[in-house]
Amino acid sequence: MLLDEQAFIFGKSLTLMQNDNFLIQQLKDKDERALSLLYDKYAGAIYSVIIKMVRDEGKAQNLLQDTFMTVWDKAESYDASKGRFYTWVFRIARNKTLNFLRKVEPLIQTDDFSVYDSKEEAISIDAKYLELNGAITTLEEHYKKAIELVYFKGLTHKEAHQQMDVPLGTFKSYVRQAIKQLRKAYTKTLSVLLLILNAL
Amino acid sequence: MDKKTILDNGLLEQYLLGELNAQECEQIEQVLASDTELKAQFDAIEKDFETLGLENAIEPPKGIKFQLIQDIREAKDAKNNKSNNNIKYYLGIAATVAVLLMLGNFWMYNELSVVKDQLQTVETEKTELNDRLNDLNKQIDEDISLFSTIAHPDTEQYVLKGNTLMPDGKVVSYVNHSTKSVVINTERLPKLDAEYDYQMWADVEGEMINMGVITKDQNLMAMTYIDHAESLNITIEPAGGNNHPTVEKLVTNIYIN
Repeated sequence: MLLDEQAFIFGKSLTLMQNDNFLIQQLKDKDERALSLLYDKYAGAIYSVIIKMVRDEGKAQNLLQDTFMTVWDKAESYDASKGRFYTWVFRIARNKTLNFLRKVEPLIQTDDFSVYDSKEEAISIDAKYLELNGAITTLEEHYKKAIELVYFKGLTHKEAHQQMDVPLGTFKSYVRQAIKQLRKAYTKTLSVLLLILNAL
Repeated sequence: MDKKTILDNGLLEQYLLGELNAQECEQIEQVLASDTELKAQFDAIEKDFETLGLENAIEPPKGIKFQLIQDIREAKDAKNNKSNNNIKYYLGIAATVAVLLMLGNFWMYNELSVVKDQLQTVETEKTELNDRLNDLNKQIDEDISLFSTIAHPDTEQYVLKGNTLMPDGKVVSYVNHSTKSVVINTERLPKLDAEYDYQMWADVEGEMINMGVITKDQNLMAMTYIDHAESLNITIEPAGGNNHPTVEKLVTNIYIN
C-alpha cells in the first residue's frame, strides 16, 4: 500500500518534471491556467509546510494564497538555472510565514531564537496537520527531528541545533545523514517503480 | 568561498531552505554556476526535498485556489481599468486639442473670408481708380491736343456769331491747315433740349460736309478737319446728328480763307 502510494508520488513527480518548464513559461506569460496547474501540483506540499509553521488553519490558508499571489506577480524573476520551481515557491512561502510570525507575535520571541516553541501548548490544532508522512517516518528519531525543524518548522540550522541541544556541527551531519537516507528510500522506490514499469 | 567550505558547512542545504543572506546566496550561486559536480549534488538535494514535500502534502481547501484566481482577475481588471482611464484621459486631451484646432480653423476661415471680402473691395476700388485715372489721362491727352492746336502759331481763329435764330450765341473756332485740325469753344452756345443737337458742317464747293455733332457736356472740342472748306456752318439737328444739314435751322456761319 505504501509502495503504491510512493510509486504514485514518483510517477506524479516525473510528470511534473516533464511539464514544469512549459507551464512555468506560460506562468511567466501570465497564463491563469498554468498557475492553476502549478498550484494543483505544489500547493499541497507548500500548505503542509506553512501550516506546520503557523499552526493555524486560517492563517496558513491566507499565507498560502499570498504565496501563490507572489508566485504569479514575481514569476518573471524565477530563474530555472538557479534551482527548481518548487524550491523557489518553498522559499517564498517560508519567508512569508516567518515574516508573518515575527510581525504578529513579536512578544513571544524573547531571548529564544525559536519563533514558537514557547507557545506550542497555547495553540490547538488538529494533530493530523503536524504529522509527518512517507519516507521521513522511517528515519531515526534525531534525523527525523532535524529535518522537521529546518524543513517543516522554518528554523535555521543555528536555531535548530539549539532546539535539539546538540552542537551545530553535529546537527549539520544529522541533516546530511537524513537526506542520504531519504534519498536511499526514494531511489529504492524509484527502482521498484522502474521494475514494475519494466515488468509491464 | 570554495566547494569544500560549502560542503563542510552544509551550506547547500541552508541555501536551498532559504536561510542564507543575499551576499551568501550570491557566493553559493557563483560556485554552483561554475562547478557542475556541486550543482549535481544540489539538484539531488532539491529533488529529495521536493519529494519530501510532496509526500507530506496536505490538500488545502478548494476555496483558496478559487479566491486566488479571483484576486488575480480583479487585480488585472483594476489594471485594465486604470489603463482604460489613461486612454480616456489621453483621448480627452486629444479631443480637446481637436476641438481647439477646429475652432481655430473656423476662426481663421472667417478671418480669411473677411480678408477676401476686403481684398475684393480693394480690387474693385483699384479698378475704379484705374479707370478713373485712364479717363483723366485720356482727358489730359485730349486737352493737351486741343490746347496744342489752339496754341499752334499757324492756327487761325474764327468767331461764329449767332444769326437771328441765335442772337446771343457764338462759337469760337480754331483752324490749323498745317496740322489739319479744328477746335471749337462752345461756351456761348445756348442750351438745347435733349431731342436736338448742334451739328457743324464745312462748305466745300457748295456741298455741306459733316464735321461732327457738337457735344453738350464739353466747352472745348475737336471737330473733323475738312480740306478745302470755304465756310464753317452750325445747324440745329435732331439728337445724334443728321446726314444733311437742315438749312432753315442754320444758326451761324463764317467764311474762312
